[in-house]
Amino acid sequence: MAKWFERIDPAVPGAINSRVRLVRNCKEYVFPSRLSDKDSEIMVHRLEQGLRNVGEVDGKDYHYAYLREIKELDKKILRERRILNSTIAAKKTPAGVFISEDEESSIVLNGTDHFRIQLLSCGNHLEELWQQADRLDDYINERFAYAYDQKYGYLTSYPTNTGTGMRASVILHLPTLSLGKRFQGMVMEMSRFGAVIKGVYGTGNENYGSLYQISNLKTLGTTEKEILDRVNKVSEQLLAQERQIRRMTMEKRGLECEDEAYKSYGVLKYARRLAAKEAMIFLSQLMSGINDGILKLKEPCSIYRLMLGIQPANLQKLSDHPLGKEELEVARATYLRAELPEMLE
Amino acid sequence: MLCERCKIREANIQYTEVLNGVKTEHHFCAQCAGELDFGPYSAIFDGDFPLGKLLSGLLGINEEQKEDKRRQVICPTCKTSYEDFVKNSCFGCPDCYGVFDLLISENIRQLQGSDSHTGKQPKYHLEPELQKDAGQYSTDASASGPAVLNKENLDAKEQIRILQAKLKEALEREEYETAAVCRDKIKVLKEGV
Repeated sequence: MAKWFERIDPAVPGAINSRVRLVRNCKEYVFPSRLSDKDSEIMVHRLEQGLRNVGEVDGKDYHYAYLREIKELDKKILRERRILNSTIAAKKTPAGVFISEDEESSIVLNGTDHFRIQLLSCGNHLEELWQQADRLDDYINERFAYAYDQKYGYLTSYPTNTGTGMRASVILHLPTLSLGKRFQGMVMEMSRFGAVIKGVYGTGNENYGSLYQISNLKTLGTTEKEILDRVNKVSEQLLAQERQIRRMTMEKRGLECEDEAYKSYGVLKYARRLAAKEAMIFLSQLMSGINDGILKLKEPCSIYRLMLGIQPANLQKLSDHPLGKEELEVARATYLRAELPEMLE
Repeated sequence: MLCERCKIREANIQYTEVLNGVKTEHHFCAQCAGELDFGPYSAIFDGDFPLGKLLSGLLGINEEQKEDKRRQVICPTCKTSYEDFVKNSCFGCPDCYGVFDLLISENIRQLQGSDSHTGKQPKYHLEPELQKDAGQYSTDASASGPAVLNKENLDAKEQIRILQAKLKEALEREEYETAAVCRDKIKVLKEGV
């Protein structure tokens, strides 16, 4: 079965993926940070038993795993694919995770909170994801009473999640807008609109791949619908500006854009060694070229899938021996040569 | 200015060291700063530096003179102290919200821009005994149906609302004893609900 990130959603170019995450806690247990190993184990087992038929909610096949039984490398892959976050991946006390076959929905048990329901999809489908998350939430709640308070809403380990316990986010490809001088200022301004924007790949001020995640800042005092509207509105605004600036750039410097797209394709298709940073930059430029209609591939191909594919843990998984730095770069180039479809002349 | 260590990336961290009265300045990029040892400040440059720690700082800076008394407040259910909360920005159990309510509600309001939930409510409130055999979840509607707040506890809800308003007023007037009485009454009412 195709994973969600292998699909292509041409509806809105530039909206790469969307995600809705809900955190919930059982009324009768203390939060995970205060649960002993033994109690965690008993609780995780109970939750798993209660949810073992969770597939009946959406007709999907779910796989269950205890976190400590998942190999370190596989945990890193789950981290790269955003099923686990860094805190949960590094967790030592008993925890578990239900993952649907297409990796679109997952429920982490006893991570930072007792339940972390997450829905992922390519393109921007926040509304549908919320509806699915809502159904999974009711299914869990039918079996386990939640810690809930009239004033603070769903009670969570961190007060930054209390209220709706919801984080809605969209990843956008903003290759031209992010080059502008005003972009940093816009990032800072975002909090005024109740949203946060941050680079997906890269450290510090550097960003490789021009992917940016937009998510809601607050969880208390706003309804789920308002959160979705806010994130959608900010995303639409950013994408509209990106399109406008891109069009101007194409008019003024069309040849440069064209050259950049073809050069990127050439490097990705024929290079023998690629560092993560350069590969991400070329993939981003290729993505722009495809979206602008400059360049066409013989078969449809999700560039975001390739961006996930060239991450270290995934490349390591494809190899039969531990990879050194240089070998990893060779493996990255080999992967891209094999996965990138031919170009239509 | 380029980072003095890697000489590749732009330096965006200025580190001033004063040793025996001699001041030296260094300029590093975020990545190199993360790799160097700055003693207790190293955590700031960690890749995983949690927003929560920053938040703890914000929660901890107010009204230092009241701090000592506040630090002694401990949640009876999970033994989390107010000090633990300020340190980790993390509660230990659902009851912590009630126990630390007076101390944190203003901070939560500043952080979230609101202090009252308006979104979804749980559809089901199963009693703990009913969940023990969650695997054999009962289909008996009378036992497990949606126990949404009913008419009987609407009164209690109303009382809670009034008490919460009183509590807020008392806090504004710094009448902590009255506030504590309101808080306890609210707690009792909530347990009843």
